[in-house]
Amino acid sequence: MNRRLLNASVLAAGAALALTACGSDSSGGGSASGDGVTTIKLVAADYGSNGQNPSQAYWDGVIGAFEQANPKIKVDVQVINWNDISTKLSTMVQNKQYPDVVEGPGYASFAQSGLLYTADQVLDPAVQANLIPSLAKAGDQGGAAYGIPFVSSSRAFLINNALWQKAKLPMNGNQAVAPKTWADVESDAKALKAAGVEVPLGLPLGSEEAQAESFMWEMNNGGGYVDASGKWAINSPANIATFKQLGTWVNEGLTEKDPGSVKRTDLYADFASGKVGMLNGMPIQLQDVQKSNLDVTWAPLPTAQTGQTPQTLGVGDWIYGFKAGGHASQVKAFLDFAFQKQWQVKFDEEYDLLPVTQDAVTQVSKDVPALVPFLKALPAARFVPVSNPAWDTVNAQVKVQIGGALKDPQGVLTTLQTAATQAGQ
Amino acid sequence: MSQQTTSAEPVPTPPLPPRRGAKAASAPRPTAAGGRNSLARLGPLPWIGPSIVLILLVVVWPVAEMVITSTHRINGLGIDFGFNGVGRYTKLFDDPRLGSVMLWTVLWTVLVVGFTMVISLALAQLYNQNFPGRRVTRWALIIPWAASVIVTSIGFRWMLDEVAGMLNRLMLDLGLIPSAQNWTGDAAHAKPWLVFVAVFVSLPFTTYTLLAGLQSVPAEVYEAARVDGASTWQTYFRITLPLLRPSFLVALVINLINVFNSFPVIWGMTQGGPNTDTSTSTVFMYILGQTDVGESAAMSVVNFAVVIVMVLLFLRVSRWNEES
Amino acid sequence: MTLLRLPVVKKSLITALAWLLAAFFLAPYLEMVLTAVRPANELRDNSYLPHHFAWNNFLDVWSQTTIGQNLQVSLLVAVGATLLTLLVALPAAYYTARIRFRGRKVFLLLVLVTQMFQPTALQVGLAREFTSLGMMDSDLTLIVANAAFNLAFAVWILSAYISSIPAELEEAAMIDGTSRVGALLKVTLPLALPGVVTCVIFTFITAWNEFVMGLILINTPSRQPLTVGIDSMIGAYHPQWNYMFAASLVAIIPVVVLFASIERHVVSGLTAGSVK
Repeated sequence: MNRRLLNASVLAAGAALALTACGSDSSGGGSASGDGVTTIKLVAADYGSNGQNPSQAYWDGVIGAFEQANPKIKVDVQVINWNDISTKLSTMVQNKQYPDVVEGPGYASFAQSGLLYTADQVLDPAVQANLIPSLAKAGDQGGAAYGIPFVSSSRAFLINNALWQKAKLPMNGNQAVAPKTWADVESDAKALKAAGVEVPLGLPLGSEEAQAESFMWEMNNGGGYVDASGKWAINSPANIATFKQLGTWVNEGLTEKDPGSVKRTDLYADFASGKVGMLNGMPIQLQDVQKSNLDVTWAPLPTAQTGQTPQTLGVGDWIYGFKAGGHASQVKAFLDFAFQKQWQVKFDEEYDLLPVTQDAVTQVSKDVPALVPFLKALPAARFVPVSNPAWDTVNAQVKVQIGGALKDPQGVLTTLQTAATQAGQ
Repeated sequence: MSQQTTSAEPVPTPPLPPRRGAKAASAPRPTAAGGRNSLARLGPLPWIGPSIVLILLVVVWPVAEMVITSTHRINGLGIDFGFNGVGRYTKLFDDPRLGSVMLWTVLWTVLVVGFTMVISLALAQLYNQNFPGRRVTRWALIIPWAASVIVTSIGFRWMLDEVAGMLNRLMLDLGLIPSAQNWTGDAAHAKPWLVFVAVFVSLPFTTYTLLAGLQSVPAEVYEAARVDGASTWQTYFRITLPLLRPSFLVALVINLINVFNSFPVIWGMTQGGPNTDTSTSTVFMYILGQTDVGESAAMSVVNFAVVIVMVLLFLRVSRWNEES
Repeated sequence: MTLLRLPVVKKSLITALAWLLAAFFLAPYLEMVLTAVRPANELRDNSYLPHHFAWNNFLDVWSQTTIGQNLQVSLLVAVGATLLTLLVALPAAYYTARIRFRGRKVFLLLVLVTQMFQPTALQVGLAREFTSLGMMDSDLTLIVANAAFNLAFAVWILSAYISSIPAELEEAAMIDGTSRVGALLKVTLPLALPGVVTCVIFTFITAWNEFVMGLILINTPSRQPLTVGIDSMIGAYHPQWNYMFAASLVAIIPVVVLFASIERHVVSGLTAGSVK
């Protein structure tokens, strides 16, 4: 009697589970149903802010048009907040419930584990040829392309002209004469500070995006995360010198206090409200600058010594196909469709990001002249080591820890170097 | 007064509905199983079965998942490199950050729970008095409870912002600080604020629990004490506190567990940073999960062990297992 | 000291202190109101009051973000979890309070352990479990999960409360031919109402304010509960603190109204729970 009742309650609970399982229909990759329609599952990052311009709307548009053109394929899209997408993807992968297509985080460790299609398998050669070469190359791992760039961005030095004039720093017409070297940065920052600017130099090394901010300073001092042969070189002399220099500026009060805890979004907001003199900026700030009627100067990033060529950071977000579902042809059809110029341009202009295909670059240059300097910087831009499968791990650790290198360059960078070499094992 | 109630008269059946303070008298009176009624013959399962199913499904299953996960090497993106034995535990215990994280976790739990209990005792005493506006001022205490902890924490982070933070401005105007500070920027500045906010959000529940305990102390007890000439403090320490012991224990245990596991306060204010300088073991577990899921699970299992020790201590202290 | 013994002085001191404390507890939320009505271009100012009051932020946050949907999810989950918790906890609490059966101690220990484990500590396991069950992104998942983590407290409070109600009353009813279930529903439940109310309030507030499970078990932004929706407002490129706090204040109101209206019951329910 007891047992029967227990069984009954277990059964009831089981039935409830089964029902909801059917209801939510998320059993890993896509599937083929009886009528010959194949469903593929797309997991994409949300680029909207505060749900105001959700990427869901963008993908619904693409998919609607795609499904009309391809009645045998259905695309099931799941849009996930950028901050959470890695964790969510991690859980899916742990449960071996692979999506068919992912747009967002890095591809390297999936590729290394043999989970991904190569770009050749899921992208038409014509589309591949249309990709900007520097970006396409960053998607290579061991000679084959797995990651396909979907959207990109680059950086430039950004100056508040009004504060520049207030500090009696040189102007060239209506543009500020930007610092070319770190020595210039220092003297300009001191002038800004003397003129009462709250944050002469913005240095967002908080965990949100510290890997990019550090890299921009490191690369302009001949450093970076890896050396020429691709080996980890996080505690290279150049990087240590870089952080010594940045630390000195922090101690002299030329930056905000405790840059290791400062988010770039907060700093961008401070820039827009006229509290920051200069910083490494990016295209999404164009909107803020325009809204607050600021006069600004965009310039190449300053270098450590005179005579060095300014380097800038390129950032790519990736799209890639998982093999588990066995839907190569459907994924290919979808990606070929999504890489058409109109859809690329729509996405880039919605979010102030940069295109990855050459025809879209041409179009965006025409539509949004303000983006031209960033577009021009793209072909020569340098990337963090995205193709290294250990990068995702190293990246997470760099984000959290590298702010500490302002106080202890040698110690923190060596800890990170050790972690990076171990992550590769 | 109190003498008279100890008359030889047999205690009458407690009146209904039960009054406050009458509860101890009508303590649990479980009857033997398998009594005269028919449902009792079915045994406990129809009654407690659903609870067991829910607990197994939502609590025990994930615990098992965590233990299994902790024996695998899994990277931050979920790729499982297979069984790793105690490898993740070795890695965790070799992690140079673990020592300071555990130390801060203990300090955090002791400080937050300690302050919360002491302040709540005082608050409960205050709100137990009769004064104009008692109801309204009690409602004010509800707000931090009604607001989600994550909202309150983000609110404090906002008020402590170096540029736009109201608390910075206020302390500056009051001459308490020479210039605006980035309070959440380094561990030494951030930790006192984290403790402050955690105490702030723990006070309402604790105060209410203690207030309930205070209200269950019969007024006659105080009168007796006053007749005996005890001072206010003597009354408090000799009579009120011992009678408050049950509610105090309940509040203490719930606070210990909540504070030890606390995530939103630290996450909302510093995200455990800079570095992992303000991470407790729970936050550290979350941060580890971004790079090494197995190690993160190992951290969880270590946390479970700590929690179980806390449960056992509680059982001892409350002598819960003697009542059976 | 002697002055303090004067009732009038003592009473006014207590009153002043209580009102000061009330102000202290309200102040952070008042500042949130002030931030909520700041126009976007004044967010980085540190003036005590906004120069312009943008009351329409409260409307904009409603029309321009997903919080309307998030609010619905939160309501559904909080109400659903509360009902499920009651449904499951009440029989268990009643039985453990009334009947001494084999395994009672084990059961109570299991319940106690549940109270000790919190979703935060179990997040990886929870995510793995519900992903493998295909139950991610579902309201029902959140209802079930919230109910489970509130079960312990509910069983605890209800059991203590029912214990305090004399069993003789039910026995009398049962002698008259009423079944045990009937006696529970007709005799005990009405008397245990304050305990039930306490349990309802606690479960509702905990589920309403729950953050971690909403974050890990729900993927789609519009299906997340309000707490997660609010938090994600500052995660994006343009942190909109004013909208964030506007949404947060909206989230506080229903709980405060609910709570303030039955505060009296909560205190009496807790009394029962703390007498063990």
